[in-house]
Amino acid sequence: MADRGLWPYILRRLLWAPLVLFLVSVIAFALGRFGPGDPVRVLAGQHRDPEVIAEIRRERGLDENFFVQYGRYMAGVLRGDLGTSFRYQNMPVWEVIKPRLWVTFQYNLVSLVLVFALGIPAGVWAAMHQGTWRDPFVIGVLLAFAAIPVLVLVPVLQFVFALKLRWLPVGGWQPRELFGFLELGILSKNIVIPLLALTLPGLAGVARLVRAQVLEVLGEDYVRTARAKGLGEVVVMTRHVLRNALLPIATLMGFALVGLLAGSIFLETLLGIPGIGSYAVEAVNARDYDGIMALVLLTGAAFVVANLVVDVLYAFIDPRVRLGAEAQA
Amino acid sequence: MRRENYLRPLLLALMPLLLLLAACGGGGGPSTAPAGAPLPGRQAGELRLFGADPITLDPALATEVASAGYIVELFSGLVTFDQNLQIAPDIAERWEVSDDGRTYTFHIRRGVIFSDGSRQVTARDVKYSLERALNRRTGSTVAMSYLGDIVGAREYRAGQASEVSGIQVVDDYTLRITIDAPKTYFLAKLTYPVAFVVKREQVEANPRGWTRQPVGTGPFRLREWRLGERIVLEPNPHYYLEPKPALSRVTFLLAGGSPLISYENGEVDIAPVGLNDIERVRDPRDPLSREFQQVDELSTFYIGFNVRKPPLDDVRVRQALAMAIDKQALASVVLRDLVRPAIGVLPPGMPGYNPNLQGLPFDPQRARQLLDQAGGPSRLAGLTLLSSGVGGTPGPIIDAIVAMWEQNLGVRIEVRLLDFGTFLTEVDRGNFDLFSLGWIADYVDPENFLDILFHSGSDNNHTRYANPQVDRLLEQARVEQDQNRRYALYQQAEQIVVQDAPWIPLYHSRDSYVVKPYVRGYSAAPFVVPRLRFVSLQR
Repeated sequence: MADRGLWPYILRRLLWAPLVLFLVSVIAFALGRFGPGDPVRVLAGQHRDPEVIAEIRRERGLDENFFVQYGRYMAGVLRGDLGTSFRYQNMPVWEVIKPRLWVTFQYNLVSLVLVFALGIPAGVWAAMHQGTWRDPFVIGVLLAFAAIPVLVLVPVLQFVFALKLRWLPVGGWQPRELFGFLELGILSKNIVIPLLALTLPGLAGVARLVRAQVLEVLGEDYVRTARAKGLGEVVVMTRHVLRNALLPIATLMGFALVGLLAGSIFLETLLGIPGIGSYAVEAVNARDYDGIMALVLLTGAAFVVANLVVDVLYAFIDPRVRLGAEAQA
Repeated sequence: MRRENYLRPLLLALMPLLLLLAACGGGGGPSTAPAGAPLPGRQAGELRLFGADPITLDPALATEVASAGYIVELFSGLVTFDQNLQIAPDIAERWEVSDDGRTYTFHIRRGVIFSDGSRQVTARDVKYSLERALNRRTGSTVAMSYLGDIVGAREYRAGQASEVSGIQVVDDYTLRITIDAPKTYFLAKLTYPVAFVVKREQVEANPRGWTRQPVGTGPFRLREWRLGERIVLEPNPHYYLEPKPALSRVTFLLAGGSPLISYENGEVDIAPVGLNDIERVRDPRDPLSREFQQVDELSTFYIGFNVRKPPLDDVRVRQALAMAIDKQALASVVLRDLVRPAIGVLPPGMPGYNPNLQGLPFDPQRARQLLDQAGGPSRLAGLTLLSSGVGGTPGPIIDAIVAMWEQNLGVRIEVRLLDFGTFLTEVDRGNFDLFSLGWIADYVDPENFLDILFHSGSDNNHTRYANPQVDRLLEQARVEQDQNRRYALYQQAEQIVVQDAPWIPLYHSRDSYVVKPYVRGYSAAPFVVPRLRFVSLQR
């Protein structure tokens, strides 16, 4: 089978992942510990009690040297303990992050689906109308959305839909419970503005890639053959053109997945969404050391996984990529 | 290859999604309610407010306003401040002070029951709570400021005693507290969260996590706290003071966003008004103007000098910098009357506030003379003002002050913008020339401003100001039993401080907010006091 060279290839890629994460964690840890600011001082506020501040630093191990602190933290991470928060005093970081991950994940997933569900037809449609005004018009409109920064788009959407039309709330997050255990925030009206702000700018990228792929495939011999056989245009498009044009799109998804975890700092802060992005801002402001580390590690891991997935997909699609692996195996 | 391999990449691409679903699913995280009740619009009798996530709900640990605002509704202590900022009975229904002013005998109210309905509060619970706050391992950075006057507190904290000798349980309903000197403001200190009662069994069973579902004795109890999302309070059915809470629940929206837009959209009932909206809200043509209210806060914002560091050790230099600032313009033009210009240290409304205080007036000519006598503007070259904040600019106030110094004295002061934690660390270390900061009352007594900020022995004397005459006046005031004489001593000390100018008092802030007409009984207090039980909704 074609799989023979694939598993060694994946394994080799997997071996890199811990090294990358190690480097990322050391850098992030060092930036926190050697950078300015001190979470204990933020906690204490204006009332100064040097004895207690020293006691808290001792208890949290902040008086130890850098390597001991790093070693202790990472040993905890390997045991599944992401540390203890300062911003939410004495609360385990995982307890702080877990609900937020779920929030960020939900609306990003919906937006991801929308981006592909709307972007792909838009790209195909544009490609089919190449040479008419419709193609540049559609792509142009989508590019215009992509060019508007979130910081501008969100207040405009709030103004129009919440304040003027009064159709939507200005922000916030209202989860609803399903089946007694699943809490979804994407079922409320609050989700519309974030989805618009996240989806509209993302459409152009997918649409343009699809359009380019479709145009390329349309020029292939087998498409001409299919048409020559007398197949209908719909069959040609779905059976022959789309299937081949969409393969590279699958790899694009790999990268898009990272967004599910990385969160959007601006979007969540502007719209009051209790996800990873808004916590990132809080954590940095409060010098929430362990919280920042957990975010960095999670995002780093997401990137590593996404890259891995993309590489593996390429190996599937293009056997030349794994030739090197086969030669070694 | 085609058909078979087409599905597999997609499946692989979906793998992390599925894994994540498995990891995160099963509910949006810690909810303190048995079932994470959704918010279907508004419930009858529900008040909705903007809020922020508290750093902690542990009364012993809270140091900032966001946490204290919830804690005063969930817990209570021996005494409290009433709506008129007078000390009032709470868990203690009455008390006696010994003739020498050092021993307080508190009579615990009978029938104070913990919010979980489990049992009554006794004197032992109060002793436990105070000692827990003082215990060094608890990690309270404010305990010594509030409870350090109690005899034996220091020894207990240093681990030299197994209990605080000055806190004695006489019987279940009588507690005797002895303090080191007859300080009349000691009762005021006991209104602060650090002196509130916690339930020993709950704390000891889960020392780290108990505050997620805290049991207290306050008018409300915590129904739900979803991090970053909302805090929901419900009335404590065992609450003992009148009036009992009239609201069926209070929801704080924690997710941020734009308060005024949410208010106009009917999503919250009360919203703070900031500098950017104040013109519109005050405009009589805007319907919001009828819902607009302002309350003076017990706070003072100021510029502090490092009085040990040349050239700022020269009083003439400090006075010159002070007299070059037009505080009236600052308050009315830059801050659009969101604040009141400050003359002295004490804010209006604080007992002992002196309306006849001789401040340093805005007088650019006199300021230039003083500076010339002290060596001229060149002496101030290279001075830096520390300011705290996030964002790219120090904000309109600091910008205006720096411009006034440049215009009126020909002095250019650099501004260094730091995040709050770094800022405090630098101020602690004395690593500054000038800094800008504010102080908000912890309790209603002039001692809380003058003694804590200007006594040479105080940990919070950031400017390193030391004047033996001021120290003497402050020490006299601590134990003066006659309130009028005591306030007079503080006024003398304040007068000296203002002339010595370790500070430039800038302004006293006001709480500006809009409140819907159907909300009754809401009063923005000048600092954190329990207030939600006085609120009702009328439609």
